[in-house]
Amino acid sequence: MLQNRLHGWSDALREGLSAGFITGLILLFLILIGVPVRLENLALFSLLLTTAIFGIRIGRRLWRAGLGDVLSNALVAGLLAGVMVLLLMALVNRWQARGIDVKRYFDSVSTQTVTVLSGVPAAELHPNPPIDPLTGRYVEGRPVRTDPFRLTFNEETGLRLKFGMTGDSVFDLNLRIGGLYGFVVLLMLTSALAAVVTWAWLAADVGRYRRQFSGRLTGNPVARWAILLLPVLFFGLFWLTEGQGVVDPVLRLRAGEREAQLLIAFLIILWALVAMRSAEANDWGLGYTARIGIVAASVGALVLIGIGRITGNNSTFIAPVSEPRGSQTLSALALVIAGAALIIQSAVLLRRPGRFESQFAIATSLSVLMILPLYLDQYQTDVMTLVGINIMLGLGLNIVVGYAGLLDLGYVAFFALGAYTYAFLSSNQMVFDSNNQPIGLKFAGNDEAVVRAAGWLTITLFVASAVIAAGLWRWRRVQAGRAKAALVRRPLIGVAPRPSTGVSVLLVVLAVGTSALVAMLLDGSSLYDRLFSGASPFLIGLVAGVIVSGIAGIMLGIPVLRLRGDYLAIVTLGFGEIIRLLFNNLRSFTGGPQGVLQIPRPLPENVSGPASYLALLYLVLLGSALIAFLSARLKQSRTGRAWSAMKSDEKIAQSMGINLVQAKLTAFAIGAMFAGIGGVLFAARQRNIFPGDFRLDVSIEVLSLVIIGGMGSIPGVIMGAIVLIGIPEVLRELATYRILVFGALLVAMVIIRPRGLLPAPTPELSARARQLAQARNPGRAQEEVQE
Amino acid sequence: MNDHKSAVPVLESRRLTKRFGGLIAVGDLDLVVWPNQIASVIGPNGAGKTTFFNCISGFYTPDEGELLFYGVPIHGLRPDQISAMGIARTYQNIHLFAGMTALENVLVGIHSNLRATPVGAMLRMPLTQEEEEAALVKAYELLEFVDLAQEADTLATNLAYGNQRRLEIARALASDPYLLLLDEPTAGMNPHETEAMMQFIRRLRDERDLTILLIEHDMKVVMSISDQVTVLDYGRKISEGTPEQVQNDPLVIEAYLGAPADELVSGFLGGE
Repeated sequence: MLQNRLHGWSDALREGLSAGFITGLILLFLILIGVPVRLENLALFSLLLTTAIFGIRIGRRLWRAGLGDVLSNALVAGLLAGVMVLLLMALVNRWQARGIDVKRYFDSVSTQTVTVLSGVPAAELHPNPPIDPLTGRYVEGRPVRTDPFRLTFNEETGLRLKFGMTGDSVFDLNLRIGGLYGFVVLLMLTSALAAVVTWAWLAADVGRYRRQFSGRLTGNPVARWAILLLPVLFFGLFWLTEGQGVVDPVLRLRAGEREAQLLIAFLIILWALVAMRSAEANDWGLGYTARIGIVAASVGALVLIGIGRITGNNSTFIAPVSEPRGSQTLSALALVIAGAALIIQSAVLLRRPGRFESQFAIATSLSVLMILPLYLDQYQTDVMTLVGINIMLGLGLNIVVGYAGLLDLGYVAFFALGAYTYAFLSSNQMVFDSNNQPIGLKFAGNDEAVVRAAGWLTITLFVASAVIAAGLWRWRRVQAGRAKAALVRRPLIGVAPRPSTGVSVLLVVLAVGTSALVAMLLDGSSLYDRLFSGASPFLIGLVAGVIVSGIAGIMLGIPVLRLRGDYLAIVTLGFGEIIRLLFNNLRSFTGGPQGVLQIPRPLPENVSGPASYLALLYLVLLGSALIAFLSARLKQSRTGRAWSAMKSDEKIAQSMGINLVQAKLTAFAIGAMFAGIGGVLFAARQRNIFPGDFRLDVSIEVLSLVIIGGMGSIPGVIMGAIVLIGIPEVLRELATYRILVFGALLVAMVIIRPRGLLPAPTPELSARARQLAQARNPGRAQEEVQE
Repeated sequence: MNDHKSAVPVLESRRLTKRFGGLIAVGDLDLVVWPNQIASVIGPNGAGKTTFFNCISGFYTPDEGELLFYGVPIHGLRPDQISAMGIARTYQNIHLFAGMTALENVLVGIHSNLRATPVGAMLRMPLTQEEEEAALVKAYELLEFVDLAQEADTLATNLAYGNQRRLEIARALASDPYLLLLDEPTAGMNPHETEAMMQFIRRLRDERDLTILLIEHDMKVVMSISDQVTVLDYGRKISEGTPEQVQNDPLVIEAYLGAPADELVSGFLGGE
């Protein structure tokens, strides 16, 4: 009888028991890793959130059952989870009472957690009871608490619900109920509430109303405009949180204002992506003048707001040597030029019908992103710069992994090469001997000879490759012409695309000769001096960094041409480590583990004020935008399709006429060049770089952000960088668990959204193809109608 | 057929041999394909037909012998070079680029006829742009030719089986080949679809001025559309000629039916 009854109960409560068990495990995990200590504001909140999530699960699973079932299951779940926490607390208390060094085992469980969860005031709680060192016995008279089973009603041990980023909390409520019984009751209530609300929601089919509502939304012009204007609206929100000159901010964020602002800034970027993606081919029945007028007006207004900020707050980002505090005129001028360029581009593109929505979204989003940095302080700028550098790295790796499908785990090598190239060309770090006496420059950064040599090399490389490329092109044209003459239908190419040795030698001689001639002319005419002695080491470093990383990309590419999948991953991983170890061990050349110090910013040395940090952010934003733009173009090209085909099936791609060697090396080189740009900017941001900055972790992080964002998707990579780099930076407290969160996110992504947060959409080229085909052959249109 | 062309065969195989260890997959194969013909290669399973195709398309390097394409030696070249010369093929088991749309698949097929470089693509040079538009139109027209224009934006994996076959042919045609190798184009098709495919292959030859070399198991197809049939068995050519000649060749009958009764059983066990 009793057994039957028990069976009946466990059947009826199965959902609740399993949910309670999992909740309990998660709660224990959270308590043991010490989340309540380091995140005290979010601690109880996160514990209750876990319970609520499982309550929702119960409600969902049992939505066909009655209210009683749901309620009892939820209560059981809360109870079971509470009992598991209670067991842990009892263990902690017992061990404490026995004099075991509990701290050693539960290092992260704070006194505060124990106080709140057990109901014993902190003053009475002894992490380790006092023991007489001579006798090894407990000191008499000092109370040793062993009883964790309490229900208290006071301020001190009451459960506090606090919510806020750091420091002060936005929301603070002391429930005045404490102790384990109190916690268990709270867990049960939370889970019951979540379960019942979910159950009622599903039972009443609230989703039906929502569907109706969203159905109404899709055709609604207000809703569409709201989506298109999202970045602008959020910029408005950001603007309200910022004091304007003497006027106080309208919207005051109490706790963690800087972090909250950063989050809004991230949201602006995300909404910009969403707005661009959701734009439809819709002109709203507007004429060309109206269309261009609206776009120009919104861009103009945003640029004006930006200029207001520049003059009102001296938020400048250009600082010539003559104006170390930043030039407002030049900054404003730059904004105006960028705005004008956007308007002109829109004017050209809007001539075609159906482009209004997308063009509007692009123009306003870019304008908002253009003026947003002016409102950031130094800390926020720093975080944004880091995110921007990671976007560059992500987009570069996206070409190698996302487009070409070559798993590269040593990607950090190219990043490091870019950074070290710039460092080597610009740092003027002194070396000291054992008596602390300077013995000379370690890096001849500002040494005329080094910069000259770099300039020489750059020019020679450019000229020589241009000559060789031109020569090859010419040679192929001649060959193709001959082949054409010989055959009726089409030239038989592919037989001998390589020039003979004689032609090659001739070309090389020609290239070397020309570059020597150019160099001599430049040297003789003092044009060279004018070109390079005035140029900032940053520009030279940028060009040299990109070239060096690109060449390294090809050098890595050649030995791994035949490798695929896991083998490729291992070899590239080794390559990344080799480069780091080289930097670590070639002391005389790279400074070894002490790194390179005193790398100049891309600015005159004496700049101060906002310009000193904003300039770098603008460079990073410009760089990321450029890289994103180039990536998008590459994807929709012959090269991009070749990569995509190669990713899909290497052998078949080759039999379609794709030269695998060429395609792979191009992918490696372009990806490496993008990383090189990132590296140069990273060195300029850090100002001191060490081999330790270029560990395997960086490669893994970049790969994670590409996977989480969506392989092969540009908005995905941007989102991935924000989620994995930006948000942990904002939630400093969570940073300790960054790897944990990475892992959890990766696992969750693979299960829930295997294609990433913002996956690349399937390209829909047929409409354009049909349009072009009809334009070329107007007769076809009628044929189709007749069919 | 143009007379001046018929002097040079499209494809000529001279004593072609391919071994895998001790196994001779293709041995001393002599084969000549003349322009605008439909030539078939038949034979029991394991006769070396697909190996022969893989040698032509460059996946395998022949151990001995020569392969001449319009008199130009092609053995030892890479698959991409061979494809660029004008030999396209389809596969026995369909191999499409699964993650790409039908239109993109055909665009990949045009690859070797385009000249755009990554730099040109990044800067969107006028020539690149022009070329890209021409390629798009061509790809779309090819899809229309194989009746797949409606599915242009569908991912290749999501296409129905018959459509995948046709898309594979469209992709092969995209490079404007002289010679099209079809590896069992009617595999897995019902009689109605097979009939349609035969019509389609004839149309290809006549409208697009192609030479076609095909592997086929369906004897009805082979006998009705081929101008010339070559029979392979254990890697060696055992018969060659018009369909009628081949049909009546006792060696062929033996290869397919294993005529002598006592060898029938061993042929059965070893053959498949």
